[in-house]
Amino acid sequence: MTCDQARLQIGAEPDGTSPDLEEHLKSCSACARFREEMRALDADLRRALQQPPETAARRRLRLRPRWREYALAASVVLATVLGLGVWLLRPSDSLAQAVVAHVQAEPDSWLATQQVSSGAIAAALRGSGVELELTSDKVTYAQNCWFRGHYVPHLVVQTAQGPATVLILRHEHVTARRSFREEGMSGMIVPAGAGSIAVLARGGANLDTVARQMQEDVRWLP
Amino acid sequence: MTQLLESLRPDLVRFAHWLSRDRAIAEDIVQESLLRAWRSRDALREPAAARAWLLTIVRREHARLYERKRLELVSLEEVADTPDGPRLAAPDADLLTLRHAIMRLPIEYREPLLLQVLAGFSTEEIARELGLSATAVLTRLFRARNKLRVMCGMTAAADVAEGGPES
Repeated sequence: MTCDQARLQIGAEPDGTSPDLEEHLKSCSACARFREEMRALDADLRRALQQPPETAARRRLRLRPRWREYALAASVVLATVLGLGVWLLRPSDSLAQAVVAHVQAEPDSWLATQQVSSGAIAAALRGSGVELELTSDKVTYAQNCWFRGHYVPHLVVQTAQGPATVLILRHEHVTARRSFREEGMSGMIVPAGAGSIAVLARGGANLDTVARQMQEDVRWLP
Repeated sequence: MTQLLESLRPDLVRFAHWLSRDRAIAEDIVQESLLRAWRSRDALREPAAARAWLLTIVRREHARLYERKRLELVSLEEVADTPDGPRLAAPDADLLTLRHAIMRLPIEYREPLLLQVLAGFSTEEIARELGLSATAVLTRLFRARNKLRVMCGMTAAADVAEGGPES
C-alpha cells in the first residue's frame, strides 16, 4: 500500500482499518500521525454536529403551496396592512433583539484572544456589501454570519476596557441611534452609511468610541 | 408508527438543518419527509431500520428542494473556500470554528460527510444513495475532511488526485 492509498483510506474512514493499512502504518510514521490527526478531527466533528448550526431563520419556503393558502394570504395581507403602522413604530426594537439573540448564539466569540488574520477578516466581509479599512489590530473574531436574510460581518474588537462585538448591517436601516441593555449586554445600533452598525459589550468597552471608529473604517459598497 | 416517526423528528431536523443550513427549510423538509414516510409506511418492515429509512427520505427531499431552489440555496457556497479561517484560543472556540467550516463545505462534500458521521451510513450505502462509485465517495470524504482541516487552520494533506506525500 502506498502513502496515497493509505491517506485516502484514513481521510475517508478514520476509524476504518484493513490488514494492508495496518501493515503500512507499522513502517510509516507520517501516515500513522495522519491517522491520529484525522481521528482527533473526527471526534471534534461528532461533537460539532451534536447541535444544529446557529443560523437565523430565513424566509419560510413553501414546498407545496396549496390553493387554500392563497385565501389565507389575502387575510394575511389585510392583517399586515393593519399592523404596518404598529410595526413601523418599532422596527429597531426587533432589530436589537435579533442582534442580541445572534450574539448570544455565538458565546465563544467573546473568548477569543488571538488576533485574526487579514484573510479571515476578508472572508468575514465577503458578500456583505461593505469593505473595511481597519485601523484596529485587535480583531479577535471575524465571521461571515447569516442574519435576517443577509450575510453580515460579525467581529469582536478588543479595547482597553474589554471586548466589543460589532455587526455591520448593510441591509438594516435605523433613523436614529438606539441604545439597549439586554441579557447582560449593553449595546447600541447607529445609522451609518448605507446601513447601520450594531455594537455590543458585556464589560466596560466604550460603545461610542467603537461605533465612531467603525463608522470611519467601513466603506459601503453601492 | 406515529410515535416512532415523532421520536425520530429531532434527529431528522438536525440532519436536515446541517444539510440545508436553514432551520425553517429544515423543518419544511422534515414535515414533507414525514408525510411521505407515512404514505409509504408499508415499505418499512423493520422498526429498527426506521432511522436510516427516514434519513434517506430527508436526504432525497433536500436534494429535490436543492434542485428546485438551486439559486436560493447555494449562496453560502460563495464562502466555501475561506482562505484562512480564524484561529481562536479556547477549545470551544475551535469547535465553533469547525462548525462554521462544516457550514461552508460545498454540498458535494458536506452531504456524504453528514451521511457518514451523522446518519452512520457505510461508504457503500452512501455510494448507493448518491449514485456514485465507492471510490468516488471515498475521495469526497477524504476531501471533505481535508477542507475542514484547512478551514480550521491546519495543514492540508496532499490531494489524492494530485499525488500524495512520499512514503
